[in-house]
Amino acid sequence: MFKRRPLQSKSEVWMRNIAMGFLILYMTIFLIIPVVIVIAGSFHQWNPLNETYKWIGIDNYIRMFSYPTFWQSMANTVIFCAVVVIFRVLLGLAIAYALNSKMMRHKTLFRTIFYMPTVTPLVAVAYVWKIMYNPQFGLIDNIFGLDINWLFDSKFALIALIAMTVWKDFGYAVILFLSGLMSLPSDCYESAGIDGANAWQTFRYITLPLLKPTMLFVVVTSIISYLQAYVPVLVMTEGGPGTSTYLSSYLVYDQAFKQYNFGFASAISLFILVLTAIFTVISFRVTGAQES
Amino acid sequence: MKHRIMKIVLYIVLALLGVVTVFPFIWMVLSSFKTNREIQSIAQSLLPEEFIPDNYLNLQQTFDFLRYFANSLIIAVIVTAIVIYTSCLCGYVLGKYQFRGKNIIFGFVMMTMMVPWSVTIIPRYTMFMQAGLQDTYISLVLPLMVSGFGIFMMKQNMEGIPDELIEAARMDGSNEFQTFHKLILPLCKNGISAIAIFQFLWVWEDYLWPYLMIDSESKQLLAVGLTLFNGRYSTDYGGLFAATTISIIPVIAVYVIFQKRFVSGVAAGAVKG
Repeated sequence: MFKRRPLQSKSEVWMRNIAMGFLILYMTIFLIIPVVIVIAGSFHQWNPLNETYKWIGIDNYIRMFSYPTFWQSMANTVIFCAVVVIFRVLLGLAIAYALNSKMMRHKTLFRTIFYMPTVTPLVAVAYVWKIMYNPQFGLIDNIFGLDINWLFDSKFALIALIAMTVWKDFGYAVILFLSGLMSLPSDCYESAGIDGANAWQTFRYITLPLLKPTMLFVVVTSIISYLQAYVPVLVMTEGGPGTSTYLSSYLVYDQAFKQYNFGFASAISLFILVLTAIFTVISFRVTGAQES
Repeated sequence: MKHRIMKIVLYIVLALLGVVTVFPFIWMVLSSFKTNREIQSIAQSLLPEEFIPDNYLNLQQTFDFLRYFANSLIIAVIVTAIVIYTSCLCGYVLGKYQFRGKNIIFGFVMMTMMVPWSVTIIPRYTMFMQAGLQDTYISLVLPLMVSGFGIFMMKQNMEGIPDELIEAARMDGSNEFQTFHKLILPLCKNGISAIAIFQFLWVWEDYLWPYLMIDSESKQLLAVGLTLFNGRYSTDYGGLFAATTISIIPVIAVYVIFQKRFVSGVAAGAVKG
């Protein structure tokens, strides 16, 4: 265990001062100052092109809450996040559980394959999938004998983005759950076997509770990263058709770097920050509540 | 008997999922050897009629793709090397030292992971424009020198190193800098591999920041290069397939080579987390 021991030698003090000094400097410049600038900016009409920077109070926030595209993007983001996270957890857990069973061999091969999409660059993957969704010669309509114009039909475009993201990311959950499963103590299972628990009961009452830290990690990191998703939208749909695939982070990109409404974009981005914090706290609460 | 059937079913399901996972890659690589006419024809087949390298050759002629590739490679290697070092250093100090304010600093490190890019990018853009750093590689490297994820991972890794080992090195009269470089760093290979692959990938696929900072086309990075190519030759699907193949295959190759070390590195961060 860790002893409470103060820094002893001069070189330890030096080491700490250098590392932490650097870290504090970095975080001040790239985290604290930017957040202050964004908060201030959200109360201004701010356009860097014509150099406007004018105090307008909470007008940006009023405009945001009465802006239909904002609400559309929020609804899309919540759906996108929820569906992808659910699939990621279910697929990840199921596959990891199967790979971990004593029956399976070739674990490394499967693991390597499932993890491949996760380590590929998203921009390139999004382009490949864009062609896969092509209604004339795309892979998906061809294989399933469908005639759907995935990315240009507002009923299907968001689903198309979700499907690509699930494909790209489920492998990460597989790896994490697999290592979680492999680190579980085997004596729990032995006593469960003696007590005559069946496979489902063992999974439900022993494995699942023990996997709680891994579950929390997967859910929290997923929510944080999906609230920030914009590349699939940018490459595959540009928010269209209409505004049916606007995600909130894409809206920030659109407002900030296409329209140059920096103040308005700042307000939206702060809303995303608050949302991230709320979802993180909720995830901790939900998994924490099952403890008793 | 029941056991046997279960096993076969399990294998079939996993194999199917495996095929679904790999198929887009295979399709991409095979299509990159087809002509545009064949790609867009009604009668589709997986294998090209004949393998032609024209997409790759034309790509280089119309569009200096290797340049983007080299630019991305240089920036990604530099950033990854810096991030590995800063992550290990900060992870070591945060994981192994006791001092006042440590938890507050670590709290801020965790916050850097939570704050979305959309919050920091507007001020960062403004700051870099005012500093006159647009169109320089400094602007690409500077903001990426520290990674909250990396520090978090390395702190977990460092806590797994027994204190006695470090004490012994101190007894032998090695100062902290020597201990860190000669003893600690070599012990963290798994964590370092995980950070290396992730950080390399993040720089490789980052789109918005290089798009905002770099003006001259010759300095541009690969991810933006792909969108430039698509914007200019939007119907050259063969070219796009070749371009995406070039930008995906190296990353996968690195992953497959290092995957064993890498997987245990990733896992260490989450299980204890």
